[in-house]
Amino acid sequence: MSDIPQPGSEAFHRISGRLQGERISSRLLEEAIQRAVAEGHRRLHVEAFGQHGIGGRLRSADGTPVLVHVSGHPGQRLGGMGFPGTRIEVDGPASDDVGWLNAGAEIIVCGNAGNGVANAMAQGRIYIGGNLGARAMTMTKHNPRFEPPELWVLGSVGDYFGEFMAGGIAVVCGHEAQRPDNVLGHRPLVGMVGGKVFFRGPHGGYSTADARPAPIDDPDWRWLEEGLARFLRAVGRSELLRRLAVREDWQLLVARRPSEKKTLSVRGIREFHRECWDAELGAGGLIGDLSSADRGRIPVITTGELRRFVPVWENRVYAAPCEASCPTGIPVQRRWQLIREGRIDEAVDLALAYTPFPAAVCGYLCPHLCMQSCTRGAFGLAPVDTTKLGQASLRARPPELPPLAGGRVAVVGGGPAGISVAWQLRRRGIEAVLYELQGRLGGKFTRVIPESRIPREVIETELERVRRILPQVALQQPLGREEFLRLREEFDAVVVAVGARKPRSLPFPGIERAVPALAFLEEAKDGRAAVGRRVVVIGAGNVGCDTATEAFRLGAREVTLLDVQRPAAFGKERRAAEAAGARFRWPVRIREISASGLRLEGGEEIPADTVIVAVGDLPELGFLPESVAVDRGYIRVDENFRTSDPRIYAIGDAVRPGLLTEAIGAGRKAAEAIAAAFSGRPPETERRPMIDRQRVTAEYFDPRIVEFADVNQCGSQCLSCGACRDCGTCVAVCPRGAIRRKGLEGDRYAYEVEDALCIGCGFCAGACPCGVWSLRENDPMA
Amino acid sequence: MPSERPLAPSTLSVKDLPWQIVWSREACTLCGRCTAVCPVHAIELAVFRKRLLEPPADFGTVTAGATRSFYGIRQRTDPAYACVGCAMCNLVCPNNALRPVRTDEADKLRFHVDRGGQPRRRGGRRNVPGTVLDRIKFIRISMLTDPALDAGRHEFELRTLLGRVLPPEAALRHEREHGWVPPVREIYPLVIGGMSFGALSPNMWEGLQLGVAYLNEELGMPVRISTGEGGCPPRLLRSRFLQYVILQIASGYFGWDEILHAIPKMKVDPCAIEIKYGQGAKPGDGGLLMGHKVNRLIAAIRGVPPGVSLPSPPTHQTQYSIEESVAKMIQSMSMAWGFRVPVYPKISGTSTALAVLNNLTRNPYAAGLAIDGEDGGTGAAYNVSMNHMGHPIASNIRDAYLTLVRLGMQNELPLFAGGGVGKTGNLAANAAALIMLGASGVQVGKYLMQAAAGCLGSESDRCNICNIGLCPKGITSQDPRLYRRLDVDDVAQRVVDCFVSFDTELKKIVAPLGRSTSLPIGMSDALGVDDPRIAERLKIAHVV
Repeated sequence: MSDIPQPGSEAFHRISGRLQGERISSRLLEEAIQRAVAEGHRRLHVEAFGQHGIGGRLRSADGTPVLVHVSGHPGQRLGGMGFPGTRIEVDGPASDDVGWLNAGAEIIVCGNAGNGVANAMAQGRIYIGGNLGARAMTMTKHNPRFEPPELWVLGSVGDYFGEFMAGGIAVVCGHEAQRPDNVLGHRPLVGMVGGKVFFRGPHGGYSTADARPAPIDDPDWRWLEEGLARFLRAVGRSELLRRLAVREDWQLLVARRPSEKKTLSVRGIREFHRECWDAELGAGGLIGDLSSADRGRIPVITTGELRRFVPVWENRVYAAPCEASCPTGIPVQRRWQLIREGRIDEAVDLALAYTPFPAAVCGYLCPHLCMQSCTRGAFGLAPVDTTKLGQASLRARPPELPPLAGGRVAVVGGGPAGISVAWQLRRRGIEAVLYELQGRLGGKFTRVIPESRIPREVIETELERVRRILPQVALQQPLGREEFLRLREEFDAVVVAVGARKPRSLPFPGIERAVPALAFLEEAKDGRAAVGRRVVVIGAGNVGCDTATEAFRLGAREVTLLDVQRPAAFGKERRAAEAAGARFRWPVRIREISASGLRLEGGEEIPADTVIVAVGDLPELGFLPESVAVDRGYIRVDENFRTSDPRIYAIGDAVRPGLLTEAIGAGRKAAEAIAAAFSGRPPETERRPMIDRQRVTAEYFDPRIVEFADVNQCGSQCLSCGACRDCGTCVAVCPRGAIRRKGLEGDRYAYEVEDALCIGCGFCAGACPCGVWSLRENDPMA
Repeated sequence: MPSERPLAPSTLSVKDLPWQIVWSREACTLCGRCTAVCPVHAIELAVFRKRLLEPPADFGTVTAGATRSFYGIRQRTDPAYACVGCAMCNLVCPNNALRPVRTDEADKLRFHVDRGGQPRRRGGRRNVPGTVLDRIKFIRISMLTDPALDAGRHEFELRTLLGRVLPPEAALRHEREHGWVPPVREIYPLVIGGMSFGALSPNMWEGLQLGVAYLNEELGMPVRISTGEGGCPPRLLRSRFLQYVILQIASGYFGWDEILHAIPKMKVDPCAIEIKYGQGAKPGDGGLLMGHKVNRLIAAIRGVPPGVSLPSPPTHQTQYSIEESVAKMIQSMSMAWGFRVPVYPKISGTSTALAVLNNLTRNPYAAGLAIDGEDGGTGAAYNVSMNHMGHPIASNIRDAYLTLVRLGMQNELPLFAGGGVGKTGNLAANAAALIMLGASGVQVGKYLMQAAAGCLGSESDRCNICNIGLCPKGITSQDPRLYRRLDVDDVAQRVVDCFVSFDTELKKIVAPLGRSTSLPIGMSDALGVDDPRIAERLKIAHVV
């Protein structure tokens, strides 16, 4: 080594950091060093006094070796931005950031160095003969065009060593370490992405997310062994080589590759759930002791018991609106179904089970509550035309009658109500005798209703059907109380169906000049009535309208209907009166009737040749015993049409003025109540709740069909509310193929849902034309 | 609906509804999933009439065309079945054939949601998007003025204290004279606020608890969760996980007999006891768990018969004034665990919060004060309480903190802020803003329902049907058919993900402040806002 010039000798160009005893600035020292190198000096001896960055940036040497020997106290960033060919030697310790951004210099510090050694170093070597402060070897790089940078440390490194290290090799010998128990310091290698760290001695952990241990293979060891010798020589501690070059004392840490970072094994939630959670709480977790119900994940779309909703085939559970609204209770829709099935005779005959007058009432006289309530109407379609079916019922065959099975009932009054109750009693095997007060069966049918409304032969045909079945007694004189009491004794029950025939009176002078409407209509029908040219009808209800129509028929030129309120007339009666030319006036208050006409309140006179009063009628009830309570002129009954005398029933206009169909329906209900009372059972109520029309789907039908050619078309256009029409739409629509038609005994059938397939979407309910399918909430689950 | 239907005051068209189903006949496969999944039956299969009518090309042959029908999805317009906008239909639709779209104007349904005289009730948050917290920014970026820290690299100990912190000399004196110092817990500053067992489904509740246990035991994050008022499953009471739990007591006192019975068998003390006096989402409104949600399990945990509706009255019956009620409750609850457990009240944000706070400063047993602002969520409340009542949390917490500062007690009585933290997704930013305004920690509930369980609710009034037990995600339902859609482990994993990512974001915010081991509680010089009125009110910098 004697041929190597020593610092201080003449071979070294000496640069002092002091001038005349004063420290010079880092700028001036830098200029002096750069100038010396530019002038060709290749051995410099710098006497440092804390100047910054000594020995860096010696570009002008152009790669030729430059030796910078530093004595004294180098400042921060010794050799910062060092260049290849530069070698910097420091006898003692150095400050922070030795070799900062080193790009190729070899820097030797024989003592300790401060924080940040080798920060951002990319090439070159740094040899430290002592210990390091914090954050050494951080942000180091390895540019593939060059050899990796190296940091050699004889002792230990400080905290946060190797943060964000992206390349290079650090060697920590751990010899006489400042921290013998932890040569790598606190939290080393956080964010390390490249490079290697060889170390010798204990450590206190490192970022396992970023670095991993690796075996030291033979090339590694050869490199380390050779490097060690060079390092120890550089820092003047070659005597340690034998002690340090013990392969098994060394460990190696390398950066994890990105793929290795992902496979870090930490305990997952599921393992934690099993191994910690359930282990502490017990099987089933938090509430395993309170509930054994399965809480495992299910799909959003579920079948079977996990469905929120289930479809139900509710065939005939609800009544169609037509049936529900018919006071007589005729299953109108069932009849259309029979027609659809080609069973027209059955459809026709079925009516006689409910009414003795299917043709007269359904075909002509009824305002057809069935049609008014028809679901089709609610959806803007023409209601199914019941009159066609009604008129066809003229040829209905009476049902087979059961033998008389005891019990006799007298029915007083042979009008629609009386005939209905007798008809229904006979159908139940109870003998019913009709007592007709007017000497002629049929009541309003035969006496009052104008022939313009219904052909005489229709009434006669239906009455004939009745006469064949029911015994009648024609009373020749008005019924007295004694005779009535005799009937009450003679029979097991009496039904009062005498109608309302006593005109209501009006409290103004001259009323006696007016003709009661019913009397007028009776006379008109018998051909006995005559009217003047100008007719005034007091009371603009439907009877008033019939009266007006008849008055025109009998030759009146002007007919005026007066009322104190908006006319109550509706339907066919009103239309007929209006068509004939009747005028309606309201509100008017009449002061008196004179020979020339009427005088109104306020003085106006309405000339009239005939005045007819049509303000309603009251029943004639003089024959009733005291035991039958009467309320404001009408007989009081309970919901079964039983009066306050348990043996006596009352129906029809004697109870409450109403429609023919209401009187007929009352007869049917009373018959059932009587039959039930005879056999000591509660009366059967056959009424089902009416279906919600919104369940029915009208959109399958063509709104442009406004008239029906025949009963067959009526049947096909009936929506079949609440009753399956066996169309199979549900089977076709079900997206899961979960619905099947199942044939039952005879021609019966049912549609069934396969729970394991059904998802509860309700498509069946949405598509069902009849509203038979509904979606109900599934039973609650525990 | 038939076009001929009679017009009633509450007859609505689809256009009148807040959410309108847009359906594509082209894309629909008619698979039935959407109608099967809709929680409120707002849609159904329907038959539509379609008239095929062509103009005559030659007036010699004019035809009326043909009337045909087709199947499709129809939205119901009955207010009882109005679409809630949850979009589960869209979620299950294989073809993206339908979705709810928000109406382009004020809907008409709002005028008809009081059938039978019952005002609208719902869950969710008040229907006002946005929050003043989002406007607050962190303006102190200490690159050079403080030792700047790196959120990704530096170690952080983001912990806060729950409990009364006595000044050192007072603590020594207390210890000497009373042999007792108030218990203090070192916890994570983001606390899961009270959501009851019953309001939440068992799977959701267990998922939250499991996630919390995992965060504590596997990741070392001392996260705490409040039970809400609905009792606590006995197994949890007897487990080591109880230490992560804040037991809430409120006016309904549900399940508290079970808790008392469990005390002798407890392995650990609970983290704290929270006395709920109010809820920010619905101040002055009590709770109501509808009877159909009170199944056998809920009944067992709450200590009531099944099937009955359970009201939590808005007030405690035995408490009559601040002085009396707060002191009395804190005493009772402290005694239950031998004064080893911190006890603090939770109130809804209110202009009277300072009165409560002043009272607490004089009560050495008071462990803190939680204030819940108007943007908080709830499972069930009257709409009017949600939309129109309450106090914003920002000024409330700020006033409370500055009051403590004036008293020199800002380090002694921790304040916890809640109500709309993370309302728009900015959980960490909102939390950090509240902390720098003076909160020692924040409580969060609704955010976790959204983040950990996919809650669909929004401040545009989407879904928000938590109150009727039909939660389509199974979060607030007691029906196994719904809550089994939610997997316990999935919820727990999401809780963990939320907290870990929140932790990173919080570090990103506090690192530039040079804070790593203490939260910047009340460090309001780091805050700025672009609105001078907000700046003046909150006493923070106005920056433009």
